[in-house]
Amino acid sequence: MADQLLPDRLDEVIDALVARGDASAALRDPELAPLARMAADLRHYPSRDFTARLRARLERRTTMTTTMTSGPAEAGHSADYAVREGFTTVTPYIWVPDRGLADFLVRTFDAIETSVGEIPGHGIHRELRIGDSMVMIGESGRAEVPARPVALHVFVTNVDTTFAKAIAAGGMSLGEPADRPYGERAGFIKDAYGNHWYIATPLGPESLGHHLRSVTPYLHSHDVRGYIDFLARAFGAVEEVVHEHGGVIPYARARIADAAIEFGTADPMPGAYFLYVVDPDSVYEQALAAGAKSLSAPADRPSGDRIGFIEDPVGNHWYIARPA
Amino acid sequence: MDVSTDEERLLIEAAQADPARFVELYDRNVDRVYAYVSRRAGSRSVAEDVTSEVFEQALSNLGTFKWRGVPFVAWLYRIASNALADHWKRERRDSHDLPPDVPDEREHQDLERRVSLFQLVDRLPDAQRQVIQMRFVEDRTIREVAAALDRSEGAVKQLQLRALENLRKDAGHHG
Repeated sequence: MADQLLPDRLDEVIDALVARGDASAALRDPELAPLARMAADLRHYPSRDFTARLRARLERRTTMTTTMTSGPAEAGHSADYAVREGFTTVTPYIWVPDRGLADFLVRTFDAIETSVGEIPGHGIHRELRIGDSMVMIGESGRAEVPARPVALHVFVTNVDTTFAKAIAAGGMSLGEPADRPYGERAGFIKDAYGNHWYIATPLGPESLGHHLRSVTPYLHSHDVRGYIDFLARAFGAVEEVVHEHGGVIPYARARIADAAIEFGTADPMPGAYFLYVVDPDSVYEQALAAGAKSLSAPADRPSGDRIGFIEDPVGNHWYIARPA
Repeated sequence: MDVSTDEERLLIEAAQADPARFVELYDRNVDRVYAYVSRRAGSRSVAEDVTSEVFEQALSNLGTFKWRGVPFVAWLYRIASNALADHWKRERRDSHDLPPDVPDEREHQDLERRVSLFQLVDRLPDAQRQVIQMRFVEDRTIREVAAALDRSEGAVKQLQLRALENLRKDAGHHG
């Protein structure tokens, strides 16, 4: 080695360091040793792309926090929220043809039906409580109206028991209960209408289950980062966690006021969600400016709610509502 | 610490009142947190995930931070230690059940030395900095770096040597 020129010898040391984390041979060479020590430290040099990206994300988050706490802002990307008692800002709205889903939820999760009423011309509207969360169901009464299945993460006390009840209630297994590496024991169910239920029990004190409510929407997209960016601009969502591996985001989480939303990279399952705000007209305009498509301009509904209706870039429908 | 205690306390109070100031705390501490996490993380992607988690949590919980005269980075190291433990639990690395230690005085000095080195890299001439970035961050071979920079492999090896010699010289001046 000593016969080689210094640039070549140093390069061999760096090759060994990068490949095996080993520069021990160089430490016996007095000319190379100090450079090898420095090279070992440089293996921990942070990517400046990474530090700049993280800085931009934090900056965006702090800007959102500022605009949300100071009310409707000049920058626009904000919303004031007006939540119905017992609800959170975001509530899943599951469209199905008949009351079978409500029965499934009662049998599987011991859901409690808190409200039922007619939507003139559109069928039956039901509200059910699962644990500390609410789910809304629209029953069209017509088989030809397509269901809009969603994916929901549900925390329960004993996933094995609940999973067995889901199977008995007609659910199909997408994955038997098992201890998962992300801190929960989880089993996956598809109901008769195509909805996915990620049923979980927390494992250990650090599980996500201690940070989430009983039911959390799990939204799929092929561009999770872009989708969260849309929700930030449209509804003032704040990104909380993004896990990225090799350019793919297997898991992310954001929050719209008091409601968490989880994300994964997968084919979208366009569903529908209620979003409670103070001023549906301005949030509706904000969503359109962020790239949403209008399905119906805000109007006062027979229920007393004022509701605007949009479709986001992934195909999810949002009822932007001010409660009666 | 490169800021006085009073300056740091005022900056924390400013960020607690106006979250937009949090990025100043980030700028001052990101290299320290990354250096601490990186030597325990085992891979660059884990180090980046955990570092992100630390600052996301710090921003969420900044309102709960109480100034007691201890450097802000000590609080960040504590969050990092717990975030690493969480990561290991998720990865089922049972041998690391307990959170790793926060730095003692000796490690603190070592981390500060590394942070100074990282900042010296940022100030290298462009070509030398690019070689360091590609070799150590992107794990590229000399041949790949030569192709990317449109230089001969010999020229890139010379740049690499010059970069390390400059860093050694500057670190001597700063250390």
